[in-house]
Amino acid sequence: MKAFSYKIYFFLIPVLVYQLIFGIYPLIYNLILSFKDVSLITYLGGGISQWIGLSNYVQILKDPVFQKAIFNTLIFTGLSLSFQFIIGFWLALLFNHTFPLKGLFQSLIMIPWVLPIMVSGSFFRWFFNDQGMANNFLLSWGFIDKPIPWITSKIFPILSITAANIWLGIPFTFILLYTGLRAIPLELFESAEIDGANWWQKILYITVPLLKPVIITILTLGTILTVKAFDLIWIMTKGGPGDVSHLFTTLSYSLAFNKFHFGKASSLLVLMVLLVVGLTILFNSTKVEEESSIE
Amino acid sequence: MNKKQRKEWKWKWTLIALIPTIIIILPLYFIAIVGFQSAAEIFHRPPYWFPPHPSMEFYNHAWVTLFPYLKNSLIVALGNLALTLTVALPAAFVLAKFRLKLGKLTFLILLFTQILPTIAVIIPLFLIFSNFGMINNYFSVILGIAVFTIPFATVILRAYIKGIPTSLIEAAFIDGADLFRIFRSIIMPLLSPAIATAGTLTFIMAWGDFIFSLSFLKDQTMQTMSIGIYRFVGQYGIEWNNLMAGSMIFAILPIIVALLAGKAIVAGLTAGAFK
Repeated sequence: MKAFSYKIYFFLIPVLVYQLIFGIYPLIYNLILSFKDVSLITYLGGGISQWIGLSNYVQILKDPVFQKAIFNTLIFTGLSLSFQFIIGFWLALLFNHTFPLKGLFQSLIMIPWVLPIMVSGSFFRWFFNDQGMANNFLLSWGFIDKPIPWITSKIFPILSITAANIWLGIPFTFILLYTGLRAIPLELFESAEIDGANWWQKILYITVPLLKPVIITILTLGTILTVKAFDLIWIMTKGGPGDVSHLFTTLSYSLAFNKFHFGKASSLLVLMVLLVVGLTILFNSTKVEEESSIE
Repeated sequence: MNKKQRKEWKWKWTLIALIPTIIIILPLYFIAIVGFQSAAEIFHRPPYWFPPHPSMEFYNHAWVTLFPYLKNSLIVALGNLALTLTVALPAAFVLAKFRLKLGKLTFLILLFTQILPTIAVIIPLFLIFSNFGMINNYFSVILGIAVFTIPFATVILRAYIKGIPTSLIEAAFIDGADLFRIFRSIIMPLLSPAIATAGTLTFIMAWGDFIFSLSFLKDQTMQTMSIGIYRFVGQYGIEWNNLMAGSMIFAILPIIVALLAGKAIVAGLTAGAFK
């Protein structure tokens, strides 16, 4: 339909201009900042900041807090994805049956997704507090003798945050796997049953192979969403105590807004954007291969 | 007999599914009941499953404290909704129905901005907005959130519009309707369920925003609920029961939406994920 000619561009220009100004331009601005020495003084003093080459990057890479953040991000992402996937898959299999009240239950399971992050974050901060609910349950049931410093020690905070994040991510994994499952024709399972396949065999040889594209989508989106998580950690610990629970995101936010090292924060952001884009490209290439191999 | 057996079988699955469902919404239940308990009661061991002496004191206090923030949250969420739909709807139409080079580029940019970490945009936007004196302004927050809600809504709407038969558009074109007319009188009326879905999700995202409000709104009279709730996190201690009561007040709107529009949320999320 070529005849519509130029009018068609009126539909596209707003979104294009918007994303270029508020999405892409900030990234370029950020890239420039990452090569400059921008601190609160240079920023407030009229913006005369020196070009300092790769110095911000070198400083960041050498920073032990950054190295800790790499470790935390790996733990956080790995554990979150594995648990979300297992729980989501189990729920999807369960909800693949037809039963009364299913619609209501499904809506209830979506609640972690719709709750404002400030609400769920505050709850988990309370839950994992030294005098909070987790400790009070465990103490009164006799599992522990003294409170566990869930979010106030060196090793536990990142694990507590991960536990909270697993809860947050269940709706998303569940809903995608459930939708994928619904698309598998029931006859496949019935004929496998006639051939004498047991529950595990059906899962392993029918469900998983047919769900492969969905699974890859979930792992892709899940990895990206998890790597860039910020709010939950900021609300629960702010990366603390003593910088032990930082992810890339919280570290760069605290560099910018608590320590006013905008240059350093920017260099970390550039690395993050590269990471996320790299992951997307990597996953997309596997996805295309999978799709073409199935067809 | 056979029929009866089948019925029992079905309720069995309901009972099994009830367990994970309850576990998943348990945090929400505790948020709700902590707000009814006194400071001594919330630290009780073991924690109470039901408030022993339910009191409205903290809910009242939280409501009075948070009411002004509620208004700000509404302004931000509705402003963002209007902006997002205005920009996303026309774009989704063209991206779904026409093959254009510029369309491909636009879609690529949308997918790209959608995966960006929020803070990768926030820090530069903060510096840019401060240069223009736009910090402490509803617009800065609305504009910032929209960087992420616009791609999200466009992708969902585009998936729906793809399902509208192209022959409808062609027929209208042959009858002499121009593109704006086709969009207004053919596409838009067919889109109401899609707009409801995309709109619901967009609203929930903006309503729950934390980081843009935290970074851009320093003036207390303009802050949203996410930040208002922080007022119960004092320097020397956290007023947990007020914090939980306030959280519950903040959460009620999204919960109602989830229960009323659960199906739409599911449809939107899957449409968004599978392109």
